[in-house]
Amino acid sequence: MSGLDSVRELTCDEVREMAGAFVLGALDIQDEAAIRAHLETCADPHAEMAELGGVVAAFAETVPMVEPPERLKGRIMAAAAADLETRSEATADAEGVPTTPLAFPSAAERAARRPRPSTGTWILRIAAVLAIALLGGWNLLLQNDLSVARSYEQNVAAVLDAAAQPGSLTAILTADGGTGSGLAAVDAEGNVTMAMRNLAPTSGTAVYEAWVIGGDGVPVPLGGFQVGQGGTASFRASGLPSSSGIVLALTLEPGPGATTPTLPIISKGVASAAG
Amino acid sequence: MDEADRAALIRIADGELAALEELYDRYKTMAYSIAYRITNDATLAEDVVQDAFLGAWRNAARYVAGRGSVKTWLLSIVHHRAIDAVRRRRPTTELPEVETAMPAALTLPDVWAEVSASLDAETVRSALETLSDVQREALELAYFGGLTQGEIAERTGAPLGTVKSRMRLGLLSMRRTLEMGST
Repeated sequence: MSGLDSVRELTCDEVREMAGAFVLGALDIQDEAAIRAHLETCADPHAEMAELGGVVAAFAETVPMVEPPERLKGRIMAAAAADLETRSEATADAEGVPTTPLAFPSAAERAARRPRPSTGTWILRIAAVLAIALLGGWNLLLQNDLSVARSYEQNVAAVLDAAAQPGSLTAILTADGGTGSGLAAVDAEGNVTMAMRNLAPTSGTAVYEAWVIGGDGVPVPLGGFQVGQGGTASFRASGLPSSSGIVLALTLEPGPGATTPTLPIISKGVASAAG
Repeated sequence: MDEADRAALIRIADGELAALEELYDRYKTMAYSIAYRITNDATLAEDVVQDAFLGAWRNAARYVAGRGSVKTWLLSIVHHRAIDAVRRRRPTTELPEVETAMPAALTLPDVWAEVSASLDAETVRSALETLSDVQREALELAYFGGLTQGEIAERTGAPLGTVKSRMRLGLLSMRRTLEMGST
């Protein structure tokens, strides 16, 4: 029983008597529910609640100051970013429209021309289209950077192969606090294959670190990689939770082995079922 | 400061992560200190602060400017989450199945805003010292210990009605002392 099934009626005097405990959060669930119910309907504004509630806030001033660990900020920001991503996905779903225009269908067919298992579905074809649109392959070709274009095409093909496996998830990674975008697939065994482009080249010991953020909102490092002048990269890791809704994200770290993300998030996306 | 806080909250309601970062940087120490003081557990305190800031992130649009400062609103969320966390460690305490909205009574009325803005630790400690020992004990067990009025009655051996009075009169007395100190 929640305790809310039998909310008892209180008189105004009873509410005043418990006002101190109410604003201090010192009521059990039944009494708190009873007071809330009374305040919602009572003609008396019960000014004592505001009068006493303000004083409670003053207690915070008496607490000895303790600095939080540095990692806490990264946890909170990553969880908020994941929440934002989920909200965006939900909004897009609610509107029933694709988040990205489906351009160049014939190019999509060409991008997905590698032999694949017959389990390829509509979502895979969309992924191929998005790979072309988001990874900007034609732009690279127009820039006559054929080696970069081929490199990214191979990386995307590897992601599409993984995405075609039964039970796989796909994620479109879009630029957040940086310039990188790409595509990733997580297979049923929890192996991720990622293809990225347009990343700023790394220098020195700096690496791009990949993260997975599950339902608990805690970012878990997957490993790092460096990026050359071409700005493209492929990445593989294992041991991910293969559940829809996980967030894949990239951050730029000063060196390998980061245990908490350094903000901003460069690129991120939510993994969802490939169909 | 509160004007900047309110501007940040509007940006948070629009989904701007940088605004959340701004608010966190401003109140991280106080938030963590409250959570740590109540839970006495560094790991749990981290969880509480994360939970509270995410609560603020998700509910920024529900903040009502006329009722008090963003700081008070935020820190009261931290306090409630910390108390919930402490009560979860006590298996006999029943918790709500779903999160309920913050009581409007926990936000500051305008008349109190000027007083609260000038409060510092020393002023509040001095006001606490003016209370009787039993009033101060009841308030501290509730605010920092997360005890319900029934648990306080059990702990102190005082009748429940007496505990209710101690909390109500103790808060009233503190308010008067703080108001006098600010004039």
